[in-house]
Amino acid sequence: MSYAVPGRRTDYRLLTEESYVPADPQSPDRPLLTGSSQLLEARLHYYMPISRQRQSVAERFRELVGIWKAGTAPLSSATEMATHPAYQQIIGLGRDAVPLLLRELQREPDHWFWALKAITGVDPVEPRQRGQIREMAEAWLRWAREQGLGR
Amino acid sequence: MREEIERIFPGLKTDVYSITSPRTPSYNCVAWAVGQVETWWWPDPMEQAFWPSEIPRRETIDVFIQAFGTLGYVLCATAVVEPGFEKIAIYVTSATKPTHVARQLPNGTWTSKLGKLEDIEHATLDGLNGSPYGSVALFMRRPIQQQTS
Repeated sequence: MSYAVPGRRTDYRLLTEESYVPADPQSPDRPLLTGSSQLLEARLHYYMPISRQRQSVAERFRELVGIWKAGTAPLSSATEMATHPAYQQIIGLGRDAVPLLLRELQREPDHWFWALKAITGVDPVEPRQRGQIREMAEAWLRWAREQGLGR
Repeated sequence: MREEIERIFPGLKTDVYSITSPRTPSYNCVAWAVGQVETWWWPDPMEQAFWPSEIPRRETIDVFIQAFGTLGYVLCATAVVEPGFEKIAIYVTSATKPTHVARQLPNGTWTSKLGKLEDIEHATLDGLNGSPYGSVALFMRRPIQQQTS
């Protein structure tokens, strides 16, 4: 059995997928993880890079919502909010994101209107309602019900 | 709440300030500066926020001066309290893009809605200097009797 110590040169020829176990950096002679689920997690971490791990649209959406909310909380600029990278990635999720955006709008009204408009190509908000978050949210939720997207 | 605000605006750590509202995405600093709490004002080209219809939707200092002009504000030289007038301070980035507006209170302190975060009352304008707001570029004033609320 070979142990790999983070930050320490390792002879990778000794490591195979079956035998590899990360070592405890404090005690290099001991394995860092002992439980089978931890071993599985460790193997996934080392053999399945993040770029190859599958994440559901809903999980990705929740992650991006958190990033966007944290990154735009002190901003007044609606332009900066809509051009924030996380917001743009949510738009990039496409139509799969629409029911998620509508649920989020119902749960906690926020500035999701541009994303909905960008994805769906429609805008149920009347000009007189611009900037009025609750009314805009209501307009979008009404549209969703009319489209059969409501619960 | 204070920890988050001071992490974003470290200048407030050495300023005297208090939180005066819950956080909400319903209105922003521009709305709060003109006494509104139901509307998000901004000249976004996507036309999602409210902006006076006769004023261009561009993030420039001239556009903000025009917008506040529709509400009776004119440029003034300083932040010194002038009886009978209320003043606002407009913050801009180093690229002169408007980012924030604070409103002066009768006692000379300032009130700000921090994006989607809370309203605060702050003793000085300097507490909000730095990222993400930049610094104060100009002051405007209008007679107090024209106040909308």
